[in-house]
Formats: sequence, structure tokens, C-alpha cells
Amino acid sequence: MAGIEGSPGSSMHGVTGREPVHAFSVASPIVPTDTTAKFDLPVDSEHKAKKFKLFSLANPHMRTFHLSWISFFTCFVSTFAAAPLVPIIRDNLNLTKSDIGNAGVASVSGSIFSRLVMGAVCDLLGPRYGCAFLVMLSAPTVFCMSLVSSAGGYVAVRFMIGFSLATFVSCQYWMSTMFNSKIIGTVNGTAAGWGNMGGGATQLIMPLLYDIIKKTGSTPFTAWRIAFFIPGWLHIIMGILVMTLGQDLPDGNLSALQKKGEVAKDQFGRVLWYAVTNYRTWIFVLLYGYSMGVELSTDNVIAEYFYDRFDLKLHLAGIIAATFGMANLLARPFGGFASDYSARYFGMRGRLWTLWILQTLGGVFCLLLGRADSLPLAVAFMIIFSIGAQAACGATFGVIPFVSRRSLGVISGLAGAGGNFGSGLTQLLFFSTSKYTTEMGLEYMGIMIICCTLPVMLVHFPQWGSMFLPPSKKVSEEHYYTAEYTEEEVQKGMHHNSLKFAENSRSERGNRIASAPTPPNATPNYV
Amino acid sequence: MATNACLVVSLWISCLLATTHAATFSSLQRTLVLTASPQAGQVLKAGEDNITLAWSLNTTFASGIDSTYKTITVELCYAPISQKDRGWRKTVDELAKDKTCQHNIVKKPYTSSNTTFTWTVRKDVPGATYFVRAYALDSAGKEVAFGQTTDAHKTTNLFEVEAITGRHVSLDIASACFSAFSIVSLLGFFFMDKRKAKSSK
Repeated sequence: MAGIEGSPGSSMHGVTGREPVHAFSVASPIVPTDTTAKFDLPVDSEHKAKKFKLFSLANPHMRTFHLSWISFFTCFVSTFAAAPLVPIIRDNLNLTKSDIGNAGVASVSGSIFSRLVMGAVCDLLGPRYGCAFLVMLSAPTVFCMSLVSSAGGYVAVRFMIGFSLATFVSCQYWMSTMFNSKIIGTVNGTAAGWGNMGGGATQLIMPLLYDIIKKTGSTPFTAWRIAFFIPGWLHIIMGILVMTLGQDLPDGNLSALQKKGEVAKDQFGRVLWYAVTNYRTWIFVLLYGYSMGVELSTDNVIAEYFYDRFDLKLHLAGIIAATFGMANLLARPFGGFASDYSARYFGMRGRLWTLWILQTLGGVFCLLLGRADSLPLAVAFMIIFSIGAQAACGATFGVIPFVSRRSLGVISGLAGAGGNFGSGLTQLLFFSTSKYTTEMGLEYMGIMIICCTLPVMLVHFPQWGSMFLPPSKKVSEEHYYTAEYTEEEVQKGMHHNSLKFAENSRSERGNRIASAPTPPNATPNYV
Repeated sequence: MATNACLVVSLWISCLLATTHAATFSSLQRTLVLTASPQAGQVLKAGEDNITLAWSLNTTFASGIDSTYKTITVELCYAPISQKDRGWRKTVDELAKDKTCQHNIVKKPYTSSNTTFTWTVRKDVPGATYFVRAYALDSAGKEVAFGQTTDAHKTTNLFEVEAITGRHVSLDIASACFSAFSIVSLLGFFFMDKRKAKSSK
């Protein structure tokens, strides 16, 4: 894969978690170890770690991993901190259903833009400053929650706190400077899943804090405000830890990174063009909007739903809601694993079917969750829904690396933005008006998931086929990936990394014979 | 043996039927007379102002109608304007699912004579428009009658409660301090780093 420092999209490499990688370590002959370096983990020539040692805090590699994912986790906690406390907040601020819905939309919309800006910030200042700046500048927005006294203020503050979700970008970027590209998949996939868990953990943490603070004598309308100080302090603590313990590069030298970054080996304009004109990009943007998007929407509404519909106490509703988000610990990696496993036998067709099955399953159980009248049934359906939706997130990024080699970063970024956009749209349509009760909203969301997952049937790779159509005999992997370069770029040799990738991607043919000779001088068919 | 079994089964079925027959609001008779001190449109401050309530049996009804009344529970209930666009306060006929009255004022044993009670509006009462309703409960805790301070359409004699904001000056100051600390320490670390980089070059 293109391991060029600073090339557009390189910060997103590995975010998919499903690129051809060796899971936890890469052995010496494949990537030579630099024996002169004195690090806790074996490193390559750039001093990036070749091994992923999960329960270690060794400086700088594993320390970076933990600082990074915990910062991302903290931002998820504060973005969704209001959700489990809405039953109290709505009484304090006299909110209507549309106020609550609008705040939910606002909480996920801000990061659509902030994630784009964060990419540029990481390029200019480095991921350590990017992370620390965002986390510490969003701490005041979390503290502002305790000052809110109207619906407008509530929506505005949730919007501002939502900007902090851009730590996703700094998290992935930072780890790509610390870990070898052959293991970056697992590293980034683990970090993304564990960070997302924050949306579940917050449903447990906030009601618990609220209860404790109430027991010390506060009135309910003050207790929830005090509870918000804890996520705020977490922001400050993580910001300070990142600033003091973190470093941009294994060798600690930021200016060296900037020097390398100046030599961008590809043009952003062309990378963007090939991302935008590939129809598969947009299908995956839509799909991710209805896997990640519905996960974010559900994080925002599920605690209130259980509190109102089943008359549960606040902390019990929070515990149930937490199981939804915490399933990310295993469900998302499971989705990626299922995608890889099906690819072993059925190639890309297997990956597409796996994605369709998981996401449609999620949709069906979302619909059933809305229909469930009894608590045990509702909890059971919710758990299956969460596994389906989160595994679908993992499976989506099992296919995205193959959509384009040149524009992987941009496509991953667009899909990520699609997730947030889908969340905002769903909350606006189904959870912001009194026209639909929350249970009806969940039903309609389930139906929308099922419908918006159907377009995956249209994804066709000429070299591998699609869900129903066989591959075209004339087109090879090299054709497909070289088609992203113009004649002059091919002559300049810019497509070499794509050729390497194309060769590795023959595994997507499934059980059939893997090697096919590349016809020399063949005109690539742009598909 | 067989008749014993039949008896047990039929008793069990009738118990089941009795409990599954949910109480509905429309089946209740308005046999209680309830008055509250707030005037129509008056605004009460949560945590400070009082409501004085008085309730008794409406003597125009046949005597003996209150034979099943064991307890009176008085509740603060949302007026329709405060239920608008807020599904969590919805009025539903089935009393077990009804969310109109969410704030209990007092629960007292039933006496047919006039009873009064003074209540300070609690600090956790949200800002909204209210009326007061009293339910008469039987020995099983099921509602058998009611009385309220407003008419059947819940349009007259409504009063407002102005809730506490929940904000405190100390919270505001703490917020500002921690926010300032966050920004200052960020800038502090940043400039320290820059200075270190300059001096090491």
C-alpha cells in the first residue's frame, strides 16, 4: 500500500482495519527490523512498531495507542453524555420533542466538518497537537452544558461538543505514524471500535454520576449539571496527558515529519476526482449512513426510549442503553472477521453478501425493537440489532479498501462523513417530531435500513463480479486499479503501488485459482 | 378432588380476569370535590410558594358510594398546553399507562369530612401549566373515583409553576475557571514546546 508520508489520504490508511495485513505482528524477512533502535517493540527502518502489544504502555508506540483511543473514547462520552439524562434535562429546560430531536441532529452534524479540518490540522501541526488542541478546546463546551437554561442553548452546546468527534481522524493518523503499515489495520480497527464504545459507556456513567450527586443532596435540576463536569475534567486530563506523554513520531521529532510531508507524491485534485466519480463510493456512503448512522442515532434515543416506554428508573434505562454501544467491543471486529472469512471461500461476492446480510439483519431487528411490547423482548431485539448494525460497520470497511487504491483515504473519509450525515437525517426524519412516537421512529428506521442496504446489490467489480453477476473474463485486478491513473501518470510510474496492491488483492477471487497473467500494454477499461 | 381442582382453577381464572381488567379514567366517577388555593393563571415559584388543598365527598351523590374508598392520593397534573409535543406526558385512558399526573402531592387515608393540606411546591417540579387531581383508591390500591380543580376538558382554573433553573453562581464560576484552565494550559504547553524546540536548534 502507498506508505508515502504525507500523501493525500495516507492518514486514513489502516482505518479500514481490513487491508491485507498480518494481524498482530510482521516478521523480519517481510519488513526488516532496525536492530540499532532501542525501543520496547521491534521496529522497522522508520522506527514504526512491527508488533502490537496490547497490554503494554511502552513509550512511544503503545503509549500512543492508549492515549489516542482513550482521547477518542472521551470525546464519544461527552458527545452522547446528554442522551441518558434527557428525561431530567427535558423537564429542567422545558424541551419539546422537536428540541430534543434537533439537539440529537446537532450533536452528530458538527463533526462532519470538523473531521475534514482535522485532517489538515494533522498535516500541518501533527496528530499530537491536533488531538490535544481539539480535546482541550472542546472542554469549555462541555462545561458550558451546566450554564444552559433554554432549548436554544441546549442545541447549541450539543452542536459544539459534537465537534470533538474529529479526534477519530487524529487517532487514526497518529497511529499510522507509529505502527508499520502491515499491522496498522488491526491497530486502527481496534482503536475505532474501542473509541465508539464511549457512546455506550456514557449511558452507564452519566446516570450513575447523576444518582451519586443527587444522594449528596443536590436537587435533580442541579445534579445533572454537576454531572457534566466529569466528562469535562476527562477532556482536560487527556489533553494534558497527550501533551506531556505523547510524541508525534517514534523519534519524537515533529519538524522531520513536516519536512517529509512537503513532498506530496500525489495530487489531491486527482485523488478527489477518482473518489467522487466512482459510483461505488456513493453506495458505501449511503450504506455507512445506515450502519454507523443508525448506531449514532440509537445512542441518542435509546435510553429515553426505555425510560418512557417501559417505565424504568433512569440508571436501569442507562444500563440497557449501554449494552447497545458497548457491543462495539466485539461486534465491529466480528463484522470485519466475517467479511474476511467469507472472502476466503467466496471472494468479493462473499464480502458483499456478508455486508448485506448483517446490515439487513440489523434493520429487521430495529423494526422488531419498535414493535416489541415487553421489556425482555425489546432488550433481546435491541442486542441483535446492535450486533447487526455494528458488524455491518466492520464489514463495510472490509470492502472499501478494494473500491480504490489511489483514493482510499478520501473514500474512507467520505464514508465516515456519510455515517454522521445518515445519523443526522434519520434523527431529523423520525425522532424530531411528535408525528411519530419513538417506537414508530424505530420501526421506520428499521424499514429505511433495509431499503438503503439494497443498493449494495449494485456494487459490481468487473474483476470479481457482484452479488448476482459473475466477473467479466477480460478484466483483471491490474486493469481496475490502473484505470485510476491517466496515461501520463502511468508513464511516470505513479501506479506502481496500485499494481502491488492489485496482485495482493487476487485473494478476492475466492476459492478459484488466484493467479492470472497480466496482459502487457493492455488499455485499462475505466469502469 | 375434581370439584376442588375445578374450584381452584376457576378462582385462579377469575383472579386473573380481575387483575387484567385495567382501570380506565373514563370509568371513574367524579365524586370528590377538590379545591386548590392558586387562582387561575397564578404563577407559583418552585421551592418557595405553597398550595393549600381541600377535598371532601360530593354530598349530591347517593350515600354509601364511598364505601370502597380507603385512601386519597392528590397529584399535580399537566394541563394540555404543557402536554403538547411532549409524548412523555401523554394522557391515556388506561390509568396504568396514563402520564398526565407525574407529581404526587400527598397520600392520606380517606375520611368523608372536609380535609385540608398545605404543600410547598417541590424543587424538582418542572416549569409548566398544571391543575390538581385527587384519586380515591380502594384497599387494593386501584382508582375508584376522582376529583379535580379544573373542568372535564382541563381548560379552566389552571395555574403555572415557575421552576428553579438548577443553575448556581458557584457552578457558573467553576465552569469558567475550568474552561480558562483548559485553554491556558493548552497554550502554555504549546509555547513551552516551541521554546524548547527553538533552544535545542
